[in-house]
Amino acid sequence: MQEHEVDLWFTKLFNDFLAAPANAVLNAIGKPAADPAHPWPNWFAMEVLVVLIIMLLFGYLKARLSADRPGKLQLTFEAIYQFIAGQAHDAVEHGSKQYVPFFGALFIFILFMNLIGVIPGFESPTMTPAVPCALAVCVFLYYHFMGFRELGPGKYLLHFAGPVWWLAPIMIPIELISHLARPLSLTIRLFANMFAGEKVTLTFLSLTYLLIPAVFMGLHVFVAFLQAFIFMLLAMIYVGGAVAHEH
Amino acid sequence: MTRKMFFLLAAVLLLACPIFAQTTGGGGSASLNLPAAYIAMGLASGLCGLGQGRATASAAEAMARNPGAQAAIRFALILGLVLIESLALYTLVITFVAKQA
Repeated sequence: MQEHEVDLWFTKLFNDFLAAPANAVLNAIGKPAADPAHPWPNWFAMEVLVVLIIMLLFGYLKARLSADRPGKLQLTFEAIYQFIAGQAHDAVEHGSKQYVPFFGALFIFILFMNLIGVIPGFESPTMTPAVPCALAVCVFLYYHFMGFRELGPGKYLLHFAGPVWWLAPIMIPIELISHLARPLSLTIRLFANMFAGEKVTLTFLSLTYLLIPAVFMGLHVFVAFLQAFIFMLLAMIYVGGAVAHEH
Repeated sequence: MTRKMFFLLAAVLLLACPIFAQTTGGGGSASLNLPAAYIAMGLASGLCGLGQGRATASAAEAMARNPGAQAAIRFALILGLVLIESLALYTLVITFVAKQA
């Protein structure tokens, strides 16, 4: 039996003023909140905050875009874009440019969600299993959809059968299981890394309060960057595998 | 040498026999969930440490042999380390599941 979780100050704003619409929506879809006074969970409010921050940041960036005299922010994001586009070109052979928006959005969103937990008073939405699971399901649906769109439904389903037709009875279950294992592993990897990072920092904070917890928090920041990059990279590899034309 | 190690390992593991005498307390009444979770986590972390050590060692040697390919080798190293790390983390998640049940 779980007590209702302690609200962060930001979630409290949502729960104080917007509890009624949230309860209405939850009751309408048949999943009433466990505690009607606190329908907004922490992770949802944090996700909304991250989306607002990203929108503000990119809105400001767009207003300041200039071809002749690029500012520092524009140069930074151009470098990030080049990096992502380069990785996409390596992973997806042809036509990687049309997938770059999805990969870029994935990377920026996961990165900001991971990093917001470092600030005291905020919590990473990726620390709850729900958020990485949703992202992994999005990646799963995206790469299958792109495979269908690129190769056509018949050819795409046919490539699950493997290279030769008489291997199909053994290849199809193996491929099925491996494709189902992909969103599972994406979810657990992101969730466990963020959750473990927080727990390790808290554990060391309870042991000693000098330099050591800060070192582990630094490791957590490094892991946050790395896990966002790995999530994006694996999404690229899956899309690359789905749209690959047999030569 | 390996024989000695084997008997040493057997002795250490058998030394834990008194655990069967405990009745209640811990993760569940007379269940071995929690000790099993501890052993599993230790085993997973140890083996992943070995794997990552091998990956890092061969990456360092490759970078020393071919300084021009440093960027590509570094990329392969980071990718390999993260994927091996995630195996230990799967075990951590199972530990939490075992603690609940």
